[in-house]
Amino acid sequence: MPDQEKLVIMVTHGPDDPELATIPFAMAGAAVASDVDVVMGFQGDGCRLVQKGVAETVTAPDFAPLAGLLDSVREFGGKLLVCAPCVKSRGIEEELVEGAEVCAAARFVAEITSATSTLVY
Amino acid sequence: MAATQIDQELDARGLLCPMPIVKTAKAMKELPAGAVLKLLATDRGSITDVPAWTGTTGNELLEWHEEDGTLVFLIRKAAD
Repeated sequence: MPDQEKLVIMVTHGPDDPELATIPFAMAGAAVASDVDVVMGFQGDGCRLVQKGVAETVTAPDFAPLAGLLDSVREFGGKLLVCAPCVKSRGIEEELVEGAEVCAAARFVAEITSATSTLVY
Repeated sequence: MAATQIDQELDARGLLCPMPIVKTAKAMKELPAGAVLKLLATDRGSITDVPAWTGTTGNELLEWHEEDGTLVFLIRKAAD
């Protein structure tokens, strides 16, 4: 068996761009379903997607609804890492969905350098 | 040729990319090795998604066809 694959998916678009907000979740869903370890990293307005109640408001045409994808990623053990300064500047540190972990740049670097591949949206 | 025995059917009709694959993966976790899952889907992306998924996960796509607009896939679970 090959070594366990790991995919890091960086998300920088928020609810204002439903398609680019949803595509990384669709990729993450397909990856966890394919037995790939997934770490999603949320920076900039991407942080809004893991603010409680926001995922439920985002749907892109012809994609599965974002909230269901988020649930699937969590159910399959995908990690959600959120940029500390990004949530602080938006005042949403205490409003993140269950499982979201606030972290700083070095943690993102550690996840990315240990991954098989990284996607940036 | 004898018909393939179906152990479980999964109705993913109406679900959009990538949920048919996500539901399939979830259903397969509950099945023993060698069991056959019949997946019904309407998302046309499944035509390429299912073979890609079986290739990645080591499960076997036995066959697929279309019936009245529904895509039907027979997938055998790989040995652990």
